Amino acid sequence: MSHLSEEQLDHLIDQERTRVQAPLNEWRTIAARAREEGLIRGSAEGSSWRGTRPWMQAAAAIVLLAGGIAIGRTTAAIPGSSTDQAEQPAMATAAPVSNSGPITQVGGTTFASVDEASATLERALSDYQRASAFIAANVSGPTTIDSSRIYSARLAALDQVGNAMEGALRTAPHDPVINQYYLATMGARVATQQLAARPVGLRLKGF
Amino acid sequence: MPFDQLDLKRAIAGDERAMQRLWSQHAPHIDAVVRRLCGDPELAADVSQEVWMQIFRALPSYRGDSQFGTWAHRIAVNRTLNALRKIRRLAKLEVDIEDDSAVTENESERTFVAESIEQAMAKLSPGARAVFVLHDVEGYTHGEIGEELGITPGGSKSQLFKARAKLKKLLAHLVDDSIPVAGKGKEHVAPV
Repeated sequence: MSHLSEEQLDHLIDQERTRVQAPLNEWRTIAARAREEGLIRGSAEGSSWRGTRPWMQAAAAIVLLAGGIAIGRTTAAIPGSSTDQAEQPAMATAAPVSNSGPITQVGGTTFASVDEASATLERALSDYQRASAFIAANVSGPTTIDSSRIYSARLAALDQVGNAMEGALRTAPHDPVINQYYLATMGARVATQQLAARPVGLRLKGF
Repeated sequence: MPFDQLDLKRAIAGDERAMQRLWSQHAPHIDAVVRRLCGDPELAADVSQEVWMQIFRALPSYRGDSQFGTWAHRIAVNRTLNALRKIRRLAKLEVDIEDDSAVTENESERTFVAESIEQAMAKLSPGARAVFVLHDVEGYTHGEIGEELGITPGGSKSQLFKARAKLKKLLAHLVDDSIPVAGKGKEHVAPV
């Protein structure tokens, strides 16, 4: 019985290595799984940052980034919001911006290294996001005509911030502060869209 | 349009369009390694779903230290091997891997006419296929393969030798076809 030579087998292997094959699944199959797991938040049609159908995004639930609701309620003083509860975490995220230099002590906290400070920041952000999600889920109030205007104004502002952050990310894609603010801005925008999409008078019960 | 850092941020945030762009760009390569390791298209399709879920779950941990494709490829290999272990396809091989008598051929195998190397690879035992795919196709070293499969580098080399010998037989019918003898006289240069 004849055999391939080593060279012939290597040639076949080379062909196999470079052979372009179709994906094993269709995207809709993958997307369905991802949506089930909550990995996809929103829909493809409305997921563009400057999407033309923002109400599609309004259906999205971004628990991770729900801090936007807390920020918004604090700044807009919307009926039903809890300023005291939201104010503290909002300040927590503002901290990194004002500490861009090589500072080893911030407030009453001392950091021994950048890694330690980064870890603290990540924990704080995580706590902040969870707290914001809790507040958003448990403190609700009716949407009014006035609040709708506020939401519209906020969305426009967040678009501007988001565009600025996108520009900054292109320049410094790995900057942790820019990344955090970009994600927070995206979350705030989607959360605001959720609020704005609610019918007037409807209470938000949670995500 | 290439997948960039901005898309990555959007994908992490759950933007379907960004995730789809990521998938579209990398699925041909990622799914190919899954397909080769599994050797069974239906199983590979199921495993591929798990692989992509794991890639999406792990996106926030991607630090950009390596190319995204390389990072995702590692996940694909690990996840696929784990899946194969779970269904006990590798279990037997890992016991037998040091056993020289592990690779045997029956009459049906000898008469098997493979139409392609993919089909021929599917005829290898799961572990031999894993070693062959990882080493000869994906470029892993025997040390890396040993770590992935929990075997020694020597066991990996032995398994590769057997896999290649078997493939040369399975693909023997192609000898008279138009396979060029590329690089005649060149040594096998796959990583060691």
